[in-house]
Amino acid sequence: MAFMRKQAVVEATDLNTITPQDAEARITAGVKKYATNEANFAKADGNTPYLGHIIGMGIESSNLADITMSIERQFLTKMTTKTPIAEGSTEYKLTAGELGKLRILDGQDALAATPGLSVKMLMDLGHMPKNEAYLQNVMSFAYVMAVGDGWKMADALKKMTAKAEKLQGAERAEALANVKTLVAQAKDYDAVLADKAKLAAAKQKTFSNDKSSYDALNNELNVTLDKIKGLSAGGDAAALAKLRTEEAEIRTRLKMSAAKLRVSQETAEAAGNRRPIEDQKVADVRKALQEAAAQAEKLG
Amino acid sequence: MALSAEDLKALRRQWTVSRAVAVPLSFFVAATARLRFGYRLPEDIDRIRDVIWEKLDAHEGPVIWAANHLTLIDSFLVYWAVFPLSRSLEDRRIPWSTPEYTNYYKLGGAWKSAFIRGLLYICRCIPFLRGGEDAAAEAFRQNAFDKCVWLLREGAAVFVYPEAGRSRSGWFEAKRPKDFLGKLALEVPSAKFLCVYLRSENQIATTVRPPEGDRFRIAIDLIDGARPGETNAREVSQRLFDRLAELQNEWWKGSTLAKNCGGNDVVDLKAPLLRENFSEDLADADPEWLERHLTPRELAALRKAPDFFKTFWRFFCAKEACHKALARTGLIVPHGAFHEIEVDLFRRKAVHVSTALQLDIRFTDDDEDKLHCVAVLRGGYIGDDATAGDVVWDVAEVPAGTAAGAFARERALDFIASCNDEIGSAAKLAVSEEGGLPTVLWSGKKQDWSLSLSHSGRFAACSFMVS
Repeated sequence: MAFMRKQAVVEATDLNTITPQDAEARITAGVKKYATNEANFAKADGNTPYLGHIIGMGIESSNLADITMSIERQFLTKMTTKTPIAEGSTEYKLTAGELGKLRILDGQDALAATPGLSVKMLMDLGHMPKNEAYLQNVMSFAYVMAVGDGWKMADALKKMTAKAEKLQGAERAEALANVKTLVAQAKDYDAVLADKAKLAAAKQKTFSNDKSSYDALNNELNVTLDKIKGLSAGGDAAALAKLRTEEAEIRTRLKMSAAKLRVSQETAEAAGNRRPIEDQKVADVRKALQEAAAQAEKLG
Repeated sequence: MALSAEDLKALRRQWTVSRAVAVPLSFFVAATARLRFGYRLPEDIDRIRDVIWEKLDAHEGPVIWAANHLTLIDSFLVYWAVFPLSRSLEDRRIPWSTPEYTNYYKLGGAWKSAFIRGLLYICRCIPFLRGGEDAAAEAFRQNAFDKCVWLLREGAAVFVYPEAGRSRSGWFEAKRPKDFLGKLALEVPSAKFLCVYLRSENQIATTVRPPEGDRFRIAIDLIDGARPGETNAREVSQRLFDRLAELQNEWWKGSTLAKNCGGNDVVDLKAPLLRENFSEDLADADPEWLERHLTPRELAALRKAPDFFKTFWRFFCAKEACHKALARTGLIVPHGAFHEIEVDLFRRKAVHVSTALQLDIRFTDDDEDKLHCVAVLRGGYIGDDATAGDVVWDVAEVPAGTAAGAFARERALDFIASCNDEIGSAAKLAVSEEGGLPTVLWSGKKQDWSLSLSHSGRFAACSFMVS
């Protein structure tokens, strides 16, 4: 079958023979054709988000899977043996074996929002050795998201200020009311970013929501198991088969919910643990928020 | 079909037994809700009860309780919220319930099952069978219906969920009425509907029970059953559904959660990057790439679809729109977690797999150039070709040399202003960003309109909800 993509031939490299910096550079180069913000891509580093147009590379969500598959095509790994997660399970994890094609399983890339986080993912999954010195300069997913939200907010405020400046009379008064609200939001968010405990608390809320969903699903599973138990004695084979399908579906949902819970748990934990690289990025976005707010306040 | 003498005897016996235990049972329900699950009623529950009981006291006839349905223990919770302990001797007012047989009557081993059956018996339950089209299932349903009619004619109260099951979207949809309650009211014209919208503050999806420790809020009213001259069950049901929908809106006015949860997505079908994983004739695609986006069920549907390329992007477009609608509820689907949302293009539904929340989807633009999909979880009706919905949208080409994102925002504000005479000018509006989601500001106030923005290649689009 002739796929359009096959025009791009890539020679895959063993991840254990290159430095994290090399891996990062290859990953970044591999997504070049998807980057719609060329200026941001040109100055991209390991902490530049793939998505988003303000500070990101401008990759569209329709190419998200292409990022992961681009990484898979470029590297070889020894983690190639499919090992069932539990006895008799069809689900598997990858363990050490012969050198072969890199495979990133469903959900494993959930936190890989930047090239640096993609390299971290490869290290976490055992495809390449951990390099703490490199990881010190990789922003956590929590901060990539938090900082990204800050830039969006500052950008919206700047645009609104520029728009309000050009208006007169009643329209200007209405626009200024909006500017005032945006300034208040920017200041609130600045305060959240200033205090890592506040940011962690905000992320903790997402974790709590996800935990509630996970617990609710467990309750749902218990009810289904109770129904199966109740029906087993009756011998209604069709109804029992239906319930078994329901049980399997809930277990799939539980698996997804658990994966999501892991993401929000890691995010909540990382939000409360700010490192120098994150301090710097937070300082940059706080400065942008403060400048945008100061500019807006000059409007009166 | 009339009830047999045996049915009547059994029903009378159940009534006698349940009457004898009504007081301790009411204490048991209240204590379990409060102490076991830590649930709390609204602070002004006494005032709410006073108002509704004044209406109930003024009505001599039977009452049909009708409530929204989100959890398996709703009947107990509604009873606890509406019925003060001081009135638990008012036998005629204590409602009979109609739990689904398959959900409650065969739960767990012999002892547990016997306990639950016993509890349901003294709680005045009439098992109901919603599934099955065979003669036995029909007879089961008819028998339960006849029991409800008999009880109402005896002046009792009967509790039925108008939606006939737990709402999979977490939203009571008035545009899809069911006839059962209308039929019941027509059989007993002296009956009134007690409409109840009860929900705990953090109840997002359909669950076994509300989150522990949650506080409930309630909106409630007593309205006419069948009015003189009404002969059409749908007409009666529609009036009931409309009132419940109004109560739902009242409930949401007091909520900190966003009521309107909608999203949109546009796909430029001519964008070159969209084609690179497909074969040159666009009739197939890289299987690994497909598997990263679609669930096995979706893949099977794709393989049967006539237009492979476009169908794939329909799935994708719908998933993205749903992703945005879900984000409004606080349910963040991680980027790239495409399997978290499963789309059924034929039924125009999508499911958020881990919570089982169901969304409605609708393709507003589907031509050779582009796809545009809107999705609604809650807050209003998505609409169809025959009925206007509560979502409005706009799709436009991005002028050359213009940044698509900025164009989408400005165009959205112009569009919103054009949809509302009161706004008049887009200058009065602004887009703010909260938690990465666009929100409209009007005169400095946030609007719960669920603005959604999207752009792809040559196109930019927006949608918002007017409910």
